[in-house]
Amino acid sequence: MTDRRKRIAFVAAVLCAVFVCLVARLVYLQVIERSELARRAERQQEQLVKLEPKRGTIYDRRGRELAVSVEVESVYGVPSEVDDPRTTASRLARILSENPSDIQKKLASDRRFVWLSRKVDPARAEKAKEIDPDAIGLRLEARRFYPKKTLAGAVLGFTNIDNKGIEGIELLYDRELRGVDGWILAEKDARGRTVFPGGNGLQYNLPQPGKDIYLTIDEVIQHIAEKELDRGLAESKARGGVCIVMQPQTGEIIALAVRSAARGSAAFNPNNPQRHRPDEWRNRAVTDAFEPGSIFKAVLAAAAIEERAVHPQERIDCSAGSIQVADRVIKDAHKNGVLTFADVIAESSNVGTIKVAQRLGKARLAKYIEAFGFGRKTGVDLPGEISGLYRDYRLWSGVSLATISIGQEIGVTPIQMATAYSAIANGGILMRPYVVSEVRDKSGKESVKTSPAAVGRVVSEETCATLRKILQRVVEEGTGKKAKPAGYTAAGKTGTAQKIDQRTGTYSKNDYVSSFVGFAPAGAPKLTILVMVDSPEGVAWGGSVAAPVFRAVAEQSLAYLQVPPDDLGGRMLLVTR
Amino acid sequence: MNSRIGHIASFPFAGSKSGIRKVVMACLVVAGLLAYVGGKVQIMRLGYKIDELERQKQDLERANRSLQIEASSLSSPARIEEIALKRLGMVRPAKENIVVVRRRTTDVSAPSTTRVDASLLFQLKTDGEL
Repeated sequence: MTDRRKRIAFVAAVLCAVFVCLVARLVYLQVIERSELARRAERQQEQLVKLEPKRGTIYDRRGRELAVSVEVESVYGVPSEVDDPRTTASRLARILSENPSDIQKKLASDRRFVWLSRKVDPARAEKAKEIDPDAIGLRLEARRFYPKKTLAGAVLGFTNIDNKGIEGIELLYDRELRGVDGWILAEKDARGRTVFPGGNGLQYNLPQPGKDIYLTIDEVIQHIAEKELDRGLAESKARGGVCIVMQPQTGEIIALAVRSAARGSAAFNPNNPQRHRPDEWRNRAVTDAFEPGSIFKAVLAAAAIEERAVHPQERIDCSAGSIQVADRVIKDAHKNGVLTFADVIAESSNVGTIKVAQRLGKARLAKYIEAFGFGRKTGVDLPGEISGLYRDYRLWSGVSLATISIGQEIGVTPIQMATAYSAIANGGILMRPYVVSEVRDKSGKESVKTSPAAVGRVVSEETCATLRKILQRVVEEGTGKKAKPAGYTAAGKTGTAQKIDQRTGTYSKNDYVSSFVGFAPAGAPKLTILVMVDSPEGVAWGGSVAAPVFRAVAEQSLAYLQVPPDDLGGRMLLVTR
Repeated sequence: MNSRIGHIASFPFAGSKSGIRKVVMACLVVAGLLAYVGGKVQIMRLGYKIDELERQKQDLERANRSLQIEASSLSSPARIEEIALKRLGMVRPAKENIVVVRRRTTDVSAPSTTRVDASLLFQLKTDGEL
């Protein structure tokens, strides 16, 4: 009994000793080392996860997606977990199509985390992870995707790998599209799984998604413009071109097609911007100025009619197609005798136009050039817009009045020219062109809509009505016959401008900018269309190169918009009920 | 056997009411602790399950989004036009195939005076509103 009690006492004493040790250790851990251990535990168990906001979607005017964000896998590595960086790097490089030495350098570094390849397709990402699940991990990231590929590429622009806007609408509206970053302090177990998701004490700040943008672009008309411009450029073997379709009453840009300056290069695809040269990224409709040539004669005509310097039926002697101005002789493409002013424009006579310009004088012509918006930015919501090249009339030389009246010695952007013709089409009001019609948050509660903005009246409605008839004559009987859309009346002007030869500094004899700008139907214009073709080969007349593109775009776009034909000649039936 | 009975009888708490109470209390405390720990373990398990379901939900949403984008990609005007023209052999309506139907503005109560051609391809319902 005594022995038993002794044994019990011994065991109890041992247990007590162990217990005292445990308590002592507990006191040490919980009291003395508490703060340091708690900090270490927090570091191991809690993970501050950055939450990337979802970038807003870009839609066309009818809510069709043009730019979206999709979640894709990115592959990262934990260098401390990699046993053999060289072998792992060579296997990863094959799967991820990356440079093996770059990956090896990353895996051999002393950093805790390295990106190996970002935004790769899921199958490759899974294969990469299988190589070494402890050292290779995957993380979801948003990637910008343009489902319509090249469609409206120059307008949309693109983003970089971190979803930051680099060009186009993506750049100009980056702040709205991007949203606000969020974070979450998540508790993780040893295997990295989230414990107590959404539990008490969870600290987070949810990201605010980017706003959606609705464009004035219509994807069908955009497709028509791009397709027909491509066809025109291929037929004329041109270096590039621009086609703008605008709503003349509001200034909304319905389509804006830009093709590269490089012959034979593919259209700009914002999904793969790195495959294009930086000069192919830019939107030449707003960033480049060109000498407009004869399409500028409409400005002179508007000014002369408004100022009553000429009557459309007044007969003007075109001096057999030649006129001396200061030290220069300016000629017509075809020798003309006496023409009415309407025919001067219809036949695009330089001599007749210059004679009317001389009546008008520098100051009055300059007043209307400025009123039509030349020499200053239109304010279109696209990045990189330039003002064009225009000098104050007090700095004009002796020949400037004549040359500017026929569209030389002045540089205009395609968007300026389309906006000016829209003013003629809508009765004389210069509108600010725009591409974004609405910025809307995801909930749809907050919305900022763009309203059409009038810059000011340029000429009277009567002048516009007269000018529309003159421009209609260009299409029906003048140089722009190939611009006539089947079933519709149209009005416009051809232009064939010589380009400056960079080597000699003088006008080239075989390098031109061919253009046609006009609107249809002529009586009640629904669309203003500008076509500019840069450096066509062979026949370079605007009436032969650009006018057919105008016709095709006008015909298809008006039919798509269900605009009733207003020219019912031929075999078209009209049924009344 | 007897000696075993003797051992139990000689247990320090044997026969003492307060001793039994202490044992019961200790058992209750242990049971309470077990219940608490069990509850915590259960919450953790449910947490993992919720996490897993959340992940599945995200995967499904991602797949759904991918399908929507694929549909958007496949409905591009360029692709539709190519299929219509090349695969289905469709053609653009020629000028003579189009019949413009206009509502009479005068005397709307009068019966229709002209029949609509049977070869009507499409009707123009609106006035070109964008």
